[in-house]
Amino acid sequence: MSEQTEAATPGESADASGLLDRWDGLRERESFSIAGAIAFVVVFPMIFTNLPAYNGYMSLVELIYIWAIFAIGFDLLLGYTGLLSFGHAVFWGGSAYAAGLFSANVSGEPLLIVLVAMVTAIVLALIIGILSLRRGGIYFAILTLAFGQMMYFIALGPLGGITGGEDGFTGVTVDPLLGALELGTGFAGVLGTLLHDIGYVLFAGFFVLAVAAAVRIVRSPYGAIFQAIAENEQRVRFLGLNVWRYKLAAFVISGAFAGVAGGLHTIHAQYVAVGSLFWITSGDIVIITVLGGIGSIFGPVTGTIAFLYVENIVSGEIAFWLLVLGALFVTVVWLFPAGIWGIVTGIRSTVREQLLGDDS
Amino acid sequence: MLLETKGLTKRFGELTAVDEVNLQIQEGDSLSVIGPNGAGKSTTVNLITGLLNPTEGKVLYRGEDITGQEPHEIVQQGLSKSFQTASIFPDLTVERNAVVASLGAEHGSFSLNFLRRLGNYDDVLERAEQTMRDMGLYEQRHVEAKSLPYGDKRRLEMALALASDPDLLFLDEPTAGMSPDETDDTVDLIERIKEERGVTIVLIEHDMEIIFRVSDRIAVLNRGAKIADGTPDEIQGDPDVQEAYLGGVEI
Ligand SMILES: Nc1ncnc2c1ncn2[C@@H]1O[C@H](COP(=O)(O)OP(=O)(O)O)[C@@H](O)[C@H]1O
Ligand SMILES: [Mg+2]
Repeated sequence: MSEQTEAATPGESADASGLLDRWDGLRERESFSIAGAIAFVVVFPMIFTNLPAYNGYMSLVELIYIWAIFAIGFDLLLGYTGLLSFGHAVFWGGSAYAAGLFSANVSGEPLLIVLVAMVTAIVLALIIGILSLRRGGIYFAILTLAFGQMMYFIALGPLGGITGGEDGFTGVTVDPLLGALELGTGFAGVLGTLLHDIGYVLFAGFFVLAVAAAVRIVRSPYGAIFQAIAENEQRVRFLGLNVWRYKLAAFVISGAFAGVAGGLHTIHAQYVAVGSLFWITSGDIVIITVLGGIGSIFGPVTGTIAFLYVENIVSGEIAFWLLVLGALFVTVVWLFPAGIWGIVTGIRSTVREQLLGDDS
Repeated sequence: MLLETKGLTKRFGELTAVDEVNLQIQEGDSLSVIGPNGAGKSTTVNLITGLLNPTEGKVLYRGEDITGQEPHEIVQQGLSKSFQTASIFPDLTVERNAVVASLGAEHGSFSLNFLRRLGNYDDVLERAEQTMRDMGLYEQRHVEAKSLPYGDKRRLEMALALASDPDLLFLDEPTAGMSPDETDDTVDLIERIKEERGVTIVLIEHDMEIIFRVSDRIAVLNRGAKIADGTPDEIQGDPDVQEAYLGGVEI
């Protein structure tokens, strides 16, 4: 306790700690995270597309943003609120189908498609949340899994005529953004190097928005209440807070993120596979989030990058890529329970201690 | 009448943990509930605060039936409870603990403010600070709750219960496991809460000295049933109480 108060007083603290304080002050700001996300979408492709065995296509980078949105939302539920859902494929796949059907029958405007996808996911999350959240722990996980599989079989069978059944939905038609900007239109010059094309701006833009929204949610009263629920649900109840509603809110918010991601995926793939509703998709998002590190916003992003790299690049090089993925997952979770992002923050605090020397 | 229970009963299978208990608490008239281990004291409090549903009987708060309401509804009406084992948020800082408690007090049981910055809610932050200062925890606000010493954890527990400015506060063995010094501090604190905040306190306690210092009335439970109820002096002289609870020993 006395350590803390000492560190907070300026006085004889070294230059390094003064700088660190200022750095911390900066990092505390919400705009810092958003600026970080913008810098990320500019720099990331330059590094990522030059990784070993990468054959330089931007499509995977965009796919990473889409899955990262899904993962960020999932972590608000798993990492912050402490609820493990095993049925998030419903929101990803359900919204993807809604997006596809909407594009085929109503409008191909990308922003409207994403909106419809998000609303669909919110409605699904409300219904499934109300039905699943009555039970805690493992029952919640199993109930969400059951609802997910139910939707999968409905899409496969009874609704096969609309969804395309086993073949998936192929009628996706995406119009230019705002009626004028063809997604494939590239930029010239510097803008071309930084932002590539309209499609990239769309996907990267939604990624930045998702980060901004998540940062805000985490810093709202909800962030504090979610964490409190994860730690001691009964206490929260006895502070006069309606835990059930806050849990439902966490579920719906994470569903909304999954919906945006699902809609974007339909635009990106121009196709909806029935596998998007399958339980393996639900498992993938759990693995991605845990691999990256739960309880942070950039953890799930890191997990997405690692997962999609192995799934798409390593898989081209090594036949047993699923084994590689499994080994990576086990290693990280075994050695670093805080995930890949936990390694990063661990190194960061070690460096800080070195910089501060004897100060603390 | 602030609180009244009528024929409050809780059965766990064969066992009747609370047996037709009638309690009456006037505003400002603090009550101690005593009785041997397993007498049903904690269960009675749990029935009143909504953690358990009674098998039979009623709980009236300010004349209104609150039987079977959810804990958060009951807390929102002005009842609050401090747990027998410190129920805090161990991985959050003391300040965060107080902020969450203040959110429940300032914003009601639910609010759709997930896109509003917590840092802009001055009312919440002020209440959190005030609570920490009142309880002497302000200096430790950046410490994770789990690394507080035992006595401070109990104080944080009480701070959480007090953040909502309750009218009626249940304290379930607040000094259990405390050193004599910590116990003294805690009793001082309870007396201060009573005086400064005008909170009516229902105290479950074993230590007679504390009970006589803090309470205006005493209710004695034995095997789930209330066997006596009165002022400390009346209870002291009650032969039934001597027999059942104190085993005939003089107090
Ligand atoms: N949830 C429960 N299930 C079954 N029996 C319980 C439960 N809670 C308490 N009891 C029993 O009820 C009786 C009263 O317990 P309690 O109210 O905790 O006593 P006290 O607080 O006076 O020591 C005890 O015999 C206890 O074992
Ligand atoms: Mg007890």
